[in-house]
Amino acid sequence: MTSVNATFGEVTAERRVAATPLSHVSIELGHLYMEDFEAGPERLREQFRRVAPWAGAVRSSWQNRVPGGRARVSTCFLIDDYFSRFSTPAELVPMVLDAAAECDLTIDYLARESSCAESNGIELARLVEGRLVNDPPPDTNGSRPPVKESGWLCNGARSPQVGTVQAMGRTSPWAPPLQNAKRGHSIFVDVELWDERGGRRTWSCPFLAAVWQLLRLGLLRADGQVPLRPVPRGDGFPDDWESLPAIVQLNPAAAPFSAYTTLSVLSPRFLPVELAVRTILSQVAVDADVLRQVIARSGGEDIQLEEELVDRISYVFT
Amino acid sequence: MGEVHTGLLQNSGEVPESTCHELLNLLSGERVRVSRRPIVHAVSPDLLTGVDCRLPSASRSRIRGAGTVLSRSSITGGRVVQGSSHTRIERAGSDRRQPWSHYLARPGVVEVLGKVKARDLADGFAEEPPPDGLDLGAISARFMDVVQTSSLLDRRTPFKIARTKLRWVAEPGEPAITFTLRSDQMRTIRLVHQGEFTPGVVDLCEDLALHDWLLTSLLVIIERARIGGTSATETAVKLAPAVDHLLHLWMPMARVDDALIPFWESLDRRPGFTRQWQSMVDRVRDQLAVRTLAFLRETGGGKAQ
Repeated sequence: MTSVNATFGEVTAERRVAATPLSHVSIELGHLYMEDFEAGPERLREQFRRVAPWAGAVRSSWQNRVPGGRARVSTCFLIDDYFSRFSTPAELVPMVLDAAAECDLTIDYLARESSCAESNGIELARLVEGRLVNDPPPDTNGSRPPVKESGWLCNGARSPQVGTVQAMGRTSPWAPPLQNAKRGHSIFVDVELWDERGGRRTWSCPFLAAVWQLLRLGLLRADGQVPLRPVPRGDGFPDDWESLPAIVQLNPAAAPFSAYTTLSVLSPRFLPVELAVRTILSQVAVDADVLRQVIARSGGEDIQLEEELVDRISYVFT
Repeated sequence: MGEVHTGLLQNSGEVPESTCHELLNLLSGERVRVSRRPIVHAVSPDLLTGVDCRLPSASRSRIRGAGTVLSRSSITGGRVVQGSSHTRIERAGSDRRQPWSHYLARPGVVEVLGKVKARDLADGFAEEPPPDGLDLGAISARFMDVVQTSSLLDRRTPFKIARTKLRWVAEPGEPAITFTLRSDQMRTIRLVHQGEFTPGVVDLCEDLALHDWLLTSLLVIIERARIGGTSATETAVKLAPAVDHLLHLWMPMARVDDALIPFWESLDRRPGFTRQWQSMVDRVRDQLAVRTLAFLRETGGGKAQ
């Protein structure tokens, strides 16, 4: 009898990871907080006027890089409905769109910040929190569980507590915190990820911004599925934020929401927030299958992507 | 290199597949993988632990490595739990510690900062790793404990049995495998594989660890039963848990990659794991058969005459 090659498969034993369409770059045209809204439409127009040339520069740089100039560029705009609720989508969205149009900018996608915390029953922030792998200080050999300060994340070793009494009654002197991968001197960063009051957790702005970057890079999955997909806009905009989809596609002809790289054009006042975002993202272990998927896709287009995901994120502070 | 810890699940009976799902759900947004044939085997998602420490070295050189260790917990047959960790050691492109994002782009790799000889490292790990060096054992123990301390388990095991630890090192080269029993609980495997390292090597070592634990446990149970040294009834009572909880779990090579099956087969020829298992199973069954016959003679024998 000849031998037979038998193949047996079990779906529950296999790991399947969905793919998401990807643009070359996702440009964030702005991030609207209540104080910006209160300052009126002129503040918005001013911001879009500052952003427009940078968005154009990035678009043309990708057009030069991609054969035939067919760069896929999508733009997005984030509205804070998490830390403070103001106005309504019906009132605010048209105002934002008009201000952008006056500066020749098209907003392809509009997202709500609260969806980075939770949306459609999926707690994206918890998902990302579970994927944090702490940057180990030297002499971390695995014998003890990683030192975690609940709700905080840093890039090194914290200062020992000052004033604790040691043996012989001496109090320990101050010692500096240390950055793990320092170059000569430390730049130690300690970021608050969330706080809890009355059993209710509030995620910090940098943590939600880190989730937002991961969403834009198409690197998040929940049970192997893409957790949030843009929903095409309806005829009008609703009167409450909950009724607005987490990510609304405003432009039917837009390139995909997620992209190989992201660019955020921000006011310099966001610099500390973005340092915190990078500290967080440097410690997020993205699913290896998803990373491979994105690298394979970009490789297929002859695009050399940066290995480290923080290097796929760029900023213009203006 | 890696280390697998294997033990009896802290529960009175076998746990159903649904409980395995809950026990191994260590990462939200990730599924527990379950295969049902030829035996139910559930595996947690892979998790990473960051390390930056001294690496083992037979020549006691001070070698520093930084990177991540990949770990997972698994439950086989609703009865045996394993905590398994491994990492691949690679030469770093630079001698300085890189930003952490560099290491997270290479999950399951520890990079050596400076010079190192692969053989020196492998020998050091298989022998006695330095106490302040990379401690894969502690990480695996935690991945086992996370399951064992779950409130879903009743912690009433049918018999007490120690966990076993299997430390393994794999290198590329001419295929060979050396399995060493170092102490009651410690085993080492030196494995030489052709071509690149694949995750299949980890599966193979976990499968060998599982079956070594089964053999060890059955041996201990038979020893405790003191066959011939005590009453047949007492022996039978002591052997019963083996029949209830262990005998059906022997399923060698169930999840081993075809290319790696020759490694299992060679160990099965010498020292002959399956041969020893079969002879012990026969012994347990014979003892119970003898006891049953005696029982029948005592109770029903009169009627038959």
